[in-house]
Amino acid sequence: MLGWSMSNGVGEGGRRSQSREKRKLFQGSDFSYALARTAVAQICESVEFNNNMYQESRQGVRFTSFQESALDTLAGVALHYIHSIGKTAQFYANVAGRVEGNSLDIVQALADLGSASGVSDTGSCLADSMLVRDIIRYTGEAEKMPFVYALPRFPITKEKRHAPPSFSEVRAEPPDVHIPVWLPSFPETNVDTIQGGAVSKENGGRSEVFKSSKDVRNSPQGEEEMEGNPFLTAPLRFLENRVSNELVDINHFPDKHSSNNHHIPVLEASALSDDINWKNRFSESEDGEKKGGARPQQTLLRFKIGTLKRPSCLATKRSVQGRRWFKEGEVKREKKSDIEENHQRIDSDVK
Amino acid sequence: MNHGQHSGEAKHEDDAALTEFLASLMDYTPTIPDDLVEHYLAKSGFQCPDVRLIRLVAVATQKFVADVASDALQHCKARPAPVVKDKKQQKDKRLVLTMEDLSKALREYGVNVKHPEYFADSPSTGMDPATRDE
Repeated sequence: MLGWSMSNGVGEGGRRSQSREKRKLFQGSDFSYALARTAVAQICESVEFNNNMYQESRQGVRFTSFQESALDTLAGVALHYIHSIGKTAQFYANVAGRVEGNSLDIVQALADLGSASGVSDTGSCLADSMLVRDIIRYTGEAEKMPFVYALPRFPITKEKRHAPPSFSEVRAEPPDVHIPVWLPSFPETNVDTIQGGAVSKENGGRSEVFKSSKDVRNSPQGEEEMEGNPFLTAPLRFLENRVSNELVDINHFPDKHSSNNHHIPVLEASALSDDINWKNRFSESEDGEKKGGARPQQTLLRFKIGTLKRPSCLATKRSVQGRRWFKEGEVKREKKSDIEENHQRIDSDVK
Repeated sequence: MNHGQHSGEAKHEDDAALTEFLASLMDYTPTIPDDLVEHYLAKSGFQCPDVRLIRLVAVATQKFVADVASDALQHCKARPAPVVKDKKQQKDKRLVLTMEDLSKALREYGVNVKHPEYFADSPSTGMDPATRDE
């Protein structure tokens, strides 16, 4: 999309071939990149520009909105900057015969990157008389502003997935003779236990989603409600949306009586506390009621978790379409409009 | 490091300032989260267990981004706004960080950003939110 290269004094020639990989590194859609984007947006918001010429703005002017590409670029440049600092500092440490870098290496790297605003005096020992002082001045001047939401420890340790209990643990008979008792039980054998352990199952499904999405190193627990700028919203929120829309699928299936009062507590227990999602969920369950597909409930709770990778719209569509076979022709039109409404709603929510 | 024999006192001063600053970084929370910086530093091969160094990098990066942003802001203010945008801006009085200003600002820092001429970006994506800072 955007081609950019950083000239940091090392020389730009022959870098073209690497630039694609670099771009992959610094312009992606992974979680860390999204975090960087948010941080950069936050920093840009905090930058103020005071000018006496503009009388109407007493407090100074600041950016309140961003072009997507500009923000992406700036975040990419910032990440590249961190990367370059790290690389150069490591280089200096290695030149000095050390494995771990120290502060002087970083200062040297900063000097190499030319972030000193003044002319750096290369004769001086650290070359940091300007540089460090600039940074110190900056930390004094800039408003101290922590990141918008609390993050858990960054490379989150993946939870171990628990294998389903074996036949002997469930104390169920294997359906066939050739299946030994010590094998993990089939999902349908512990239908009774699913009811009780539905919450844990839901959670397992969710964590699976987070694991499967590449490079997502976080869990949603450390997030707070955000208001205002959409650029400062939690990057994981989109994930949550997606997940909850998947979970909504479950709600299509329960029969008339149990849909509202029975299954929603289970979803509630899975702690997706988003208003939109709630609305979504309720409306969906109402839909489910309208259509009134008579379906066994628990079995569906089981295998919908496995298909989480599908896009949500598609999933709902299919699930509804699959049910169409059971409907009379009259209901079809209503349903179609319902589906379309649903899609629009989901789309707008996702956006 | 093999430099700095000749400027002993200046070095001493700088060292003291640097040490003091590093110590003060323990209390300072940069906007860029530590874990993010640590992650990307680790990706670049730099390893250090010291959170102060990570914060030093974080603060330096923050300063860099803030400098670029303030330059872009100046470009944005200095540029005569086109008529259509003017109306819009007068209406809701908000500044949009555009690619044009950003590339100008970044050029001063040695980053050449080539902005595709007819790239249809969506500047309106950021226009929806409630005004937070005003």
